[in-house]
Amino acid sequence: MENLEVVFHLSTPVSLGFPWIFLDSLLAHVMLKEELGERYYSLPTKIPIRDVPRPPLKYYYDVPVASASIIEPNPGLQVFSYFKRGDFPFPRGKISRGSGFFKDFYLKAVYIPAQRVRFYATGELSEIKRLVSKVPALGKDRNIGFGFVKLVEVREIPFEFGLVKDGLAMRPIPVRYLKRYEDSAYLAYKPPYWARESVDLCAVPFTKVELK
Amino acid sequence: MRGAVHQGGVEVDPEWLRRWREYFLAYYDEARVEDKAAEAAEFAKQYVDQGLVSVSGGKDSMAMLHIITTRVKRNIRVFHWDHGPYLVPREVEREILENIFGVASEADIYIRAYRRGFSERARVDWRPWYAEFFKALEELTRQLRVRYHVLGVRAEESSRREARGRVVERRSWVEVHPIYHFTWRDVWAYIFKHNVPVPRVYYAYAKLLGWDRVRLVTFFDREFEKYGSPQVDSVLSWRWRHTPG
Repeated sequence: MENLEVVFHLSTPVSLGFPWIFLDSLLAHVMLKEELGERYYSLPTKIPIRDVPRPPLKYYYDVPVASASIIEPNPGLQVFSYFKRGDFPFPRGKISRGSGFFKDFYLKAVYIPAQRVRFYATGELSEIKRLVSKVPALGKDRNIGFGFVKLVEVREIPFEFGLVKDGLAMRPIPVRYLKRYEDSAYLAYKPPYWARESVDLCAVPFTKVELK
Repeated sequence: MRGAVHQGGVEVDPEWLRRWREYFLAYYDEARVEDKAAEAAEFAKQYVDQGLVSVSGGKDSMAMLHIITTRVKRNIRVFHWDHGPYLVPREVEREILENIFGVASEADIYIRAYRRGFSERARVDWRPWYAEFFKALEELTRQLRVRYHVLGVRAEESSRREARGRVVERRSWVEVHPIYHFTWRDVWAYIFKHNVPVPRVYYAYAKLLGWDRVRLVTFFDREFEKYGSPQVDSVLSWRWRHTPG
């Protein structure tokens, strides 16, 4: 296991669905896509998959040693409002566009016009390099052009910064694993990040902490 | 964010807020918002004695409540609907209640709560909300024997609201809209001029979405998915995503 720095260079702004993107979640997503192939795109919605693959990372208890995203430069959040209308031919006659199949959406993408997204992690260099090379875009709303990756760099660094760097939590860490913490909130701290089972009272990323 | 102050679940930039406050105070005089407020009070005067003033705690209803309690009558009847912790985090609801009790200190305040709002399911299934809300409102209307419902609806908000008019006959009551002719600038100018309290989350949302587009609606509510609201909530109000706060 090596200490790594992963830098995604972007060609378009990154849209967010949460203040942070998590590297372990990204790796698990790529691994699941590899595992399922085409079946990934027809997953059951009623019974979601809970056994996601375990990324090749070091773990501190059950917390992956992989940081949350550091977005550079970060000039603050922006919003892009857009209409999403059906791209299929409308039938003749009256249709309802307020609800149902032909419903229109007036959506908002919250984005940051960033150039780089940096992560720190400790894991298997070659495998992580292979997995991140398969990431074409980061964040949300990738289908409308947000977060396109121009280049990804993975390099070894001398220190482990995936959990804590300069006394700051680099990702959500459950407070039960901490001696001291500055701020806490209920956050998901391991993949799958959408699952209720992954949520615990955690130290907030980029606030002061001390590990047990 | 440099200089940002963490207030509740969201961050507010004080310097940004100060600049906008200056702008709205200048606008207040320039656009003669005082005259509009006087006209709104004159209009409301006809209805408050036999009416129930509905206050969500948002900017429009708080501005209207302030106009009524300072210029028309203090001991009015106020109705507030509590959406429950999963739709409005408790931190925000506490602030809303403090604001209402502060502005309408001599009013009789009737609070009814959405029972299903105490379950996480309320964020996904919004259909029962309407039935429960209107049932509670009808019961209260009958109990208090009021004829008018005084609402903070503005014509500018949507073409549907504009078409509705200032006085609307409903089945069980008549809806009246004192601040019907206010624009979003008028409302914010009135709020800044008279220090009308509004939930602080407004400022964080206003910074991102714009003062004209910011609205206090339920949080993480699938009903507003078609407007992209849950995504904005997840970024700005991330603390309340997994907890009712």
